[in-house]
Amino acid sequence: MANITKKVSWSSRGDEPAPAGEGTPLLNGAGGAARSYSRQFSGSGIFQIGRLSTVDLEEDPAPEEESAISRPKEIPHNEKLLSLKYESLDYDNSENQLFLEEERRMSYMGFRCLEISRWVVCALIGILTGLIACFIDIVVENLAGLKYKVIKENIEKFTEAGGLSISLILWAFLNSVIVMMGAIIVAFFEPIAAGSGIPQIKCYLNGVKIPRVVRLKTLVVKVCGVICSVAGGLAVGKEGPMIHSGAVVAAGVSQGRSTSLKKDFKIFEYFRRDTEKRDFVSAGAAAGVSAAFGAPVGGVLFSLEEGASFWNQMLTWRIFFASMISTFTLNFFLSIYHNKTGELSNPGLINFGRFDSDSVEYNLYEIPLFICMGALGGLLGALFNVLNYWLTIFRIRYIHRPCLQVMEAMLVAAVTATVSFAMIYFSDDCQPLGEDQAENYPLQLFCADGEYNSMATAFFNTPERSVRSLFHNPPGSYNPPTLGVFTLTYFFLACWTYGLTVSAGVFIPSLLIGAAWGRLFGIMLAHITPYGSIWADPGKYALIGAAAQLGGIVRMTLSLTVILVEATGNVTYGFPIMLVLMTAKIVGDYFVEGLYDIHIKLQSVPFLHWEAPATSHALTAREVMSSPVTCFNRVEKVGTIVDVLSNTSTNHNGFPVVTRVMDDDEPGKICGLILRSQLIVLLKHKVFVERTRSRLNQRKLQLKDFRDAYPRFPPIQSIHVSQDERECMMDLTEFMNPTPYTVTQETSLPRVFKLFRALGLRHLVVVDSENRVVGLVTRKDLARYHLGKHGLEELQLAQT
Amino acid sequence: QEFRRVFFLFLLKIICSLILEAPLAAQSSAMVSLHLVPRLIALLLLLPGRIRSSSPVFNSLLSDLQGDPELEERCRDLLRDFGRRYESYVKCAVPSARPVRICENCHIQFEMLRVVYNNISSDQADPENCRDSLLRADRLMLVYMLFQNLEDVWDVAHCSQCLSGDGLSNITLRYMAKLNQSLSCFESQKNNHSELCRVCRADYKDLNEFYSIMEKNQTLCIDIEDSMNATRRLWSKDFNCSFPREETVPVIAVSSFMLFLPIIFYLSSFLHSEQKKRRLIHPKRAKSNNSLMNIQDKHS
Repeated sequence: MANITKKVSWSSRGDEPAPAGEGTPLLNGAGGAARSYSRQFSGSGIFQIGRLSTVDLEEDPAPEEESAISRPKEIPHNEKLLSLKYESLDYDNSENQLFLEEERRMSYMGFRCLEISRWVVCALIGILTGLIACFIDIVVENLAGLKYKVIKENIEKFTEAGGLSISLILWAFLNSVIVMMGAIIVAFFEPIAAGSGIPQIKCYLNGVKIPRVVRLKTLVVKVCGVICSVAGGLAVGKEGPMIHSGAVVAAGVSQGRSTSLKKDFKIFEYFRRDTEKRDFVSAGAAAGVSAAFGAPVGGVLFSLEEGASFWNQMLTWRIFFASMISTFTLNFFLSIYHNKTGELSNPGLINFGRFDSDSVEYNLYEIPLFICMGALGGLLGALFNVLNYWLTIFRIRYIHRPCLQVMEAMLVAAVTATVSFAMIYFSDDCQPLGEDQAENYPLQLFCADGEYNSMATAFFNTPERSVRSLFHNPPGSYNPPTLGVFTLTYFFLACWTYGLTVSAGVFIPSLLIGAAWGRLFGIMLAHITPYGSIWADPGKYALIGAAAQLGGIVRMTLSLTVILVEATGNVTYGFPIMLVLMTAKIVGDYFVEGLYDIHIKLQSVPFLHWEAPATSHALTAREVMSSPVTCFNRVEKVGTIVDVLSNTSTNHNGFPVVTRVMDDDEPGKICGLILRSQLIVLLKHKVFVERTRSRLNQRKLQLKDFRDAYPRFPPIQSIHVSQDERECMMDLTEFMNPTPYTVTQETSLPRVFKLFRALGLRHLVVVDSENRVVGLVTRKDLARYHLGKHGLEELQLAQT
Repeated sequence: QEFRRVFFLFLLKIICSLILEAPLAAQSSAMVSLHLVPRLIALLLLLPGRIRSSSPVFNSLLSDLQGDPELEERCRDLLRDFGRRYESYVKCAVPSARPVRICENCHIQFEMLRVVYNNISSDQADPENCRDSLLRADRLMLVYMLFQNLEDVWDVAHCSQCLSGDGLSNITLRYMAKLNQSLSCFESQKNNHSELCRVCRADYKDLNEFYSIMEKNQTLCIDIEDSMNATRRLWSKDFNCSFPREETVPVIAVSSFMLFLPIIFYLSSFLHSEQKKRRLIHPKRAKSNNSLMNIQDKHS
């Protein structure tokens, strides 16, 4: 009876146009599941389309099986949760009969073409990523230039006539309006595009499928959002979003079609599965890094550092190729834009400028100083992360409505402008206008004619330019009090800004904070040492400070070193930068994790680290696994399959196929594994035993049919199965993966973990001594263990 | 060919030893002590015209051994000419160093110097031409370096930007007129600074704006920049006519209002917005349901 009522609701759903656009319907607890909850239980028809997090869970649906548990079922959001929203990618290849058949059909030439098309895809990824970077750069430059020009003229007018508070209001207003546009598109259209995107890409490369993270829509929102937030004068950079954009480009290009635009180019069809897509995404992330910093090797190493469990030589080489192409493209088009066609000296979005080797060489006795700066960077980074952690928790708990998020972003933009204005207004630091200094918008205010306000170089500018002027302006361009006040202000502004619902990165603000206090450090050093002015070049210390601060916040190691070395174009700094980053990481890790890891945890992502937590050897697969397992027979009744698939309280994704399920709880012997996506395609094409018998000429299902449905398999609710068809049988033998990985019950957790992590598995079947299925290990079963202060702790699963 | 080179080197060696030993041999003679190499260079710098008369050893040996003496004569004339013009340029430039008036005062001299240098460097009639023998015959390449330094100075000063044809450009002359107007206004009011700020503001502003336009059009040279700097310093520092900071109160008021907004926002959203709760899910587990307890048991 229950089935029939459910089916009624499905068919009513069929009339609604909604499901195609939003939420991958397969997600546990996401889209379809959440909707059917509200449909089934509340009855009030709450439909929050597109915004999963706003699905109202306050009305307690009280499912039967949970009523027995006495613990409170609802808790405030914290970092010790795992969300059901996230699933694994299917990295493991399903070697079913269709796959073998296709491989047999494929000629030698076919494989060669495949290899060539991989290179073509990588080249395309590089070119498109470079173009996007170029686009962002040019638009931001022009938009910010326009804004600063308007404000500058206004300030100049009112300096003379009086009424500077009007300029202040104008500045705050312009900032808020620009940021508002950015925040609206992010908050209302694509919330996943918020932030820098690096945590999301990190998760994706780790093997977690983040819903909607590599969609075309996300890319568009991300690019527009980042332009708005940088031009809106927030304390943000455009480098992190560039990495995300690269990844989306890669995921899109490699598929040879766009599901959002409903356009299929009929190319690269072979790459339409998670395995291939993820390799390309790592190339895209590398291309993004390389375009952002002009650091191709750094990009490759970034992909290596974040997604290293699936790696081989050829892939590395291809990724490097994509990186190089991306830098080159950016270079080339920027050179055209700057009317210097063919002059390839604009390697990245952020250009640290050239460090002349003679003025900024370092000596052995400076190494301890660098290490001290590294430690300071670690401390400040930890402080930044702790503050941001509390702020983010507050935001998740209280500021979850889109309009509130937009308001918050606008307020931050207005306050940023206000604080900057106040700093500039009350600063007495005037410096003569140099000829070669990159003061694009010098503000005179109350300075003598021919001089400019030195606080304005830091605040009245895009953050990248400020970084560059901190690195390269000659000694004496900034007074120590200016730098001190600037560091303090910008630290809190940046900390407050990161985590807003705008797309923006944290790289540049960190660099800016670090460069400011590093420069201060250098100036102090020159003051206290008798012959200091010879070697204590403030620009050099600004660079080291920037590295220390960035290392203290994001805690990246290898790739960050190489990125900074490449961005400065000076290999001799490799050693001090490495030392500084190491110190910063060691000191920072003593207090709190890196910013990206904090945000991954706060989003309740089941992230698998390199190793299983120490002291977990005592745990065995029996304790880790989920049990009992929902299994199917080799030849299963369609009705059973539909019921299992549409059961929202379980929502499993992989089903072991067994010889025969006894009526009692006796588990059957394993003979394969089949995925929900495969079953859905089978149901859609109605591959029933009875039908094949009756209609012999029916086209045989091919692997292509599965690929065509990828990656947005229709939800089970959209597939109509009539009462007659429910009685049919389905033969799964051809389609299941006949050789899934299995472990025995006594396997220890680290062993299971290693297998899982190294092979990129999604389901690991636990069997007893007679090969009977007793349990199933998935990502969430493994990710819930982590080493806390009181030994091994377990995270809880939650619906988010 | 090889033989010639060896022979030439041998000759050079002899010449060098002669030069070095000459002062030792005749220390008393003031004339001969001029053969000292550093002195020679100093001489070259200042009085190139006297090379020949003051160095008989050079003269006799070199002219005997190095090619056609008549060709040498032509080059020597060029060199002498270069020296004279160089001298007159330097004589003009040094007094114009502070306050900088180098473009205005010395552009004629520099142009003449450039002409003769161009004559030297474009002289390539023979294989034994003056360009090679004067500009690139030795490691030092003194003539080349001397001219190059002056040209660099000229470039850094951007002198060409305020010259046109054979004199100052029109825009420069207009600037000069405006400058003089401002300066004479300053002069007339210099006893009362507050009065000066009021009376001369129009002139000064006009000058300042004209300067900004020139800056944008890249028609500035060091003379103009320097005179403008000095004028600005007079205006801002000496006469103290910059804008005063006098609207502190409204700015503070607006700023504190802006800073107050987020506090209200966060407080209100803390008080009025519902706290987001997460519903916990209890996964299916094997018999030992609460495995956290299990872990802790094992650890204790």
